[in-house]
Amino acid sequence: MSLKISGIVEFIRMHRDEIMKDWIDRFNKADAQSISAESDQIDQAIAAEYVNILIEWSKNKEDEFSRKIHEFSKRIVQLDWPMDKIAQCLHTFEKILFAKLLEKQIPGDPLELLSEIEKVTSPVNREVFLQYTSSYERTINLQKMALQELSAPLIPVFDSITVMPLIGTIDTDRAKRIMENLLKGVVKYRSEVVLIDITGVPVVDTMVAHHIIQAAEAVRLVGAKSLLVGIRPEIAQTIVNLGIDLSQITTKNTLQKGIEAALEMTNRKIVSMGERR
Amino acid sequence: MDGQSCVMIMNEWDIVAARQLGRHAAKELGFGAVDQARITTAISELARNIYHYANGGKIYIDKIEEKEKKGIKITASDHGPGIPDIRKAMEDGFTTSGGLGAGLPGVKRLMDEFYIDSKTGEGTVVQVVKWLR
Amino acid sequence: MMKTSKIPILKLYNNLLISIQWELDDKTAMQFQEDLLKKIHETGATGVVIDLTSVDVIDSFIAKILGDCVNMSKLMGATVVLTGIQPAVAITLIELGIELEDIHTALDLEKGLELLKELED
Repeated sequence: MSLKISGIVEFIRMHRDEIMKDWIDRFNKADAQSISAESDQIDQAIAAEYVNILIEWSKNKEDEFSRKIHEFSKRIVQLDWPMDKIAQCLHTFEKILFAKLLEKQIPGDPLELLSEIEKVTSPVNREVFLQYTSSYERTINLQKMALQELSAPLIPVFDSITVMPLIGTIDTDRAKRIMENLLKGVVKYRSEVVLIDITGVPVVDTMVAHHIIQAAEAVRLVGAKSLLVGIRPEIAQTIVNLGIDLSQITTKNTLQKGIEAALEMTNRKIVSMGERR
Repeated sequence: MDGQSCVMIMNEWDIVAARQLGRHAAKELGFGAVDQARITTAISELARNIYHYANGGKIYIDKIEEKEKKGIKITASDHGPGIPDIRKAMEDGFTTSGGLGAGLPGVKRLMDEFYIDSKTGEGTVVQVVKWLR
Repeated sequence: MMKTSKIPILKLYNNLLISIQWELDDKTAMQFQEDLLKKIHETGATGVVIDLTSVDVIDSFIAKILGDCVNMSKLMGATVVLTGIQPAVAITLIELGIELEDIHTALDLEKGLELLKELED
């Protein structure tokens, strides 16, 4: 006679302390470096809760059960453990349970036993991993939004001169957003000259250069001029080596030189008011 | 999704009518100013192709929805002579009408998705989609 | 049949001022090209400012007409400045692959007139 799910649940309930002790011992041994008294306690509490949920699962109504799993999973995610640690931990529990069942000479085919164990633990485990993934997805989305916000600020520095500092990698999506912000800003601030600062752009490949050229052309169409500044030596090398033609665009090596040029283009210059102290 | 709009392209005024309809639909869907201009211009180019090459045809404008994404789909269909070499027509700078040659590759760049089907002697269908970001 | 509307062309000293206030259709655009050249011939104007602030679509055909206007005017001795091209229109033109090279542009009518003066000097 094989052990049904309820039988396994009953088994867990009866040998609960034993299983838990083994589980925590085994796990802490594997995780020897990071043991501290505090985290140990949390482990205990979490382990107890996990076992509780497994035991209670047949007693509870379906929706209450899933609510419990849900809450438990959320708490696990909040622990901020790496996902592989959780996976390992849950797997260890199954191994221990299996070993215990065999040890107590429970009759039945071991293979069937394994699949029954899996039926008991999998709903909880699945929910835990679901929670993990959705929490990662949330983080990624938040970061995406944060990235979009700092995507392309336009800073008016002088009357009719604005600067757009670009930081980070530029992909097609971002390039489009940059172009839109750039042009809207030029019109809004009535800029005659706009400086595009690529000091913070790690790589300028053919695609990025293409987007910069397009942006410069669009700026010209709305009636302003653009200067490309912040060209580091390695960027200059790649541009020339790739055979990218930037001859239509005025370039300067630093933002400072760019601003001087921009002032000159608008018939102004910075003068010193006497000696510096 | 609520219905489809359609404009018959028979003369030059219909080009203006088609793009006004497109702009209206794009605005309703919540597209920003730049995307509105992209969509409207794409419609204008497609309608122009119909007018110049096919001697009449239709522009359909659909609001579409797919997996939480919203977008606009433009279908330009005609029973004109068809395009004998689609690949060539998709090359930048290819034109047979002495225009600027922006044509189809330009339209493709303005939109997110681009499909074309053309049979010589039967006509051409171009379908483009822009998704709401 | 709808009537083709005429775009008014104003003369100010040596310059012609045009503000396009509504969506351009092909006929109006072609009519405008003809009118502009005629007006340059009549007045001997040396500068032209075409303000496009209110135009929200320029497709390849209209762009070609505008580009032709610039080159034809140049042949007749008048410099053309296009002003007020909207960001959305500029982006669309670039993406379409229309570059309008060697064309003078300015942010608005006022800056356009200033530019014409500068170019004359």
